[in-house]
Amino acid sequence: MSTAAIDTRTEDRPARAQSPLGETIFRTLCFSAATLLMAALAGVVVSLIIGGWPAFQKFGFGFITSTAWNPVTEDYGAAGPIVGTIVTSILALIIALPLALGVSVFLVEFCPKRIARPIAIAVELLAGIPSIVYGMWGLFVLAPWFATHIQLPIMMDFDSHSLIGRIFSGVPNGANIFTASLILAIMILPYMAAVFRELLLTVPSQVREAAYGLGSTAFEVVAKVMLPYVSKGTVGVIMLGLGRALGETMAVTFIIGNSHGFPHSLFDSGSTIASTIANEFAEATSDMHTSALIALGLVLFVLTFAVLAVARALLAGNKN
Amino acid sequence: MNDIATPISPASPNIAASTEAPIMTRPTGELVLEARNLDFSYGKTQSLFGVDLPVERNRITALIGPSGCGKSTLLRALNRIYDMYPGQHATGRILLNSEDILSDRGSLARLKARDGDVELNESGLDTSALRARIGMVFQKPTPFPMSIYDNVAFGVRLHQKKSKAEMDVIVERSLKRAALWDEVKDKLSASGLGLSGGQQQRLCVARGIAVEPEVLLLDEPASALDPVSTAKLEATLMELKKDFTIVIVTHNLQQAARISDHTGFMFLGKMIEFRPTAELFERPQSPRTRDYVTGRFG
Repeated sequence: MSTAAIDTRTEDRPARAQSPLGETIFRTLCFSAATLLMAALAGVVVSLIIGGWPAFQKFGFGFITSTAWNPVTEDYGAAGPIVGTIVTSILALIIALPLALGVSVFLVEFCPKRIARPIAIAVELLAGIPSIVYGMWGLFVLAPWFATHIQLPIMMDFDSHSLIGRIFSGVPNGANIFTASLILAIMILPYMAAVFRELLLTVPSQVREAAYGLGSTAFEVVAKVMLPYVSKGTVGVIMLGLGRALGETMAVTFIIGNSHGFPHSLFDSGSTIASTIANEFAEATSDMHTSALIALGLVLFVLTFAVLAVARALLAGNKN
Repeated sequence: MNDIATPISPASPNIAASTEAPIMTRPTGELVLEARNLDFSYGKTQSLFGVDLPVERNRITALIGPSGCGKSTLLRALNRIYDMYPGQHATGRILLNSEDILSDRGSLARLKARDGDVELNESGLDTSALRARIGMVFQKPTPFPMSIYDNVAFGVRLHQKKSKAEMDVIVERSLKRAALWDEVKDKLSASGLGLSGGQQQRLCVARGIAVEPEVLLLDEPASALDPVSTAKLEATLMELKKDFTIVIVTHNLQQAARISDHTGFMFLGKMIEFRPTAELFERPQSPRTRDYVTGRFG
């Protein structure tokens, strides 16, 4: 019944001086654009699988669990870069999250209206600075400073066999897991702050007024009402930041030290999936080396895709 | 809520007509809250002009008038919620138990300041403590994203340390007074967001009265509710006036007539007529009030 009613109305439409041919072309163009995107995505996945297949076939599950990465003996295991990727990303999150929270709460709750907008725009612009700029700054400025002023003093003060000594051991040149995480944190901070701000703005003003109306202070309103209100979305923001940190290449490649295998301490050099691929692709001469790198790419793809999918689901959940 | 920011056009032909003195019949009982000669402006736009509002203890006072007349603004001035927004400013006097809560010379401010350790804003008044004495319920239900129990306990926890047992008593009493207890007593730990609109609004009432305020302000509390929920809410309010003093803004004239003891009719930022409800509805003295309550405009 209702279908029939809708059909009649659809047939009425062309009467409004609209060319049916133009409509068809328009729809086809939109459809092709959408299809093209999906096809490109599928193509990337398929070629990653085909390219990485020899490596997966030869090393099996060991490709993910082994720390061997030896182009001479053609023995490849990706555990080092995988762990390096996850550790640097999570450390970056731990550093960036409280700062992002502070920035966004300040912008939404305390900042005078007149300067809140310019600051918000500046934060969004910061998110657009090319990563190579961060990488250069990290290598030429942050790493040397970090080595002389933080790494060396800590290493001198603590016995290298004590727990703290072991956590902070490494070559004191500033190129290590921790500085890489620091750079990553600086890079994802504006991005997370911007999304967080949008999220906090979704709290209805009447809910805020109700909280103030009961006699809450600003801190109580933010901590007890606004943050719980956006809690699901907060997880989404964290995941989005994580997704960005996971795939970041140039800045990390500059400053992580690029050694394969497991990082043994916070100040040890290491590698991430993205930095390994960027460093070695040009020199990969053997087929197995190339295949191992492509397989790495697939691992990163799956990791990032999963994180972003979870983020999207959580953000969508918060809107309801 | 939509009418609070509506500027009053100076070009309006009615503005001259509304300069006549308000027709006031002051309540005979004790006043708990009173606005005297109150002006209010949003930035450069003035939206209240010398408004007087006497609020009698343990009575329901209704504010009616067309959208943009300033009734919500008046309500928001009474507990100084407008302090949240820079550029909004009130002058005149608002007396809570004869203490001026607008001026920094008010005795409430002095008392609080002498107690020390209370944070005072620039006018010298502890607005957090003030708002605990004047509760507010909004047009749309505003449950917080937490359990029903925590919603009711929220305000109390801000101001007092209570044991679990004491808090249980307060929560139960508040929910009973708000006529919500029977519907939620088995799911106090469920989220307040899961209740129906009418239940959410009564939850907000329970949350508001849990801190034992002297006055409860309600800004069109039933406008988002269906008739059954509205009837329940009205019954709740009638019951609550035994313990509290209520000021309600409403667009629903029948509602004002049904539940209120005093009614103020506002127009273009002025109090036109303030009288006992029955008199105002049956024998309006201002032609403007008569037009409004008989449905000829607004």
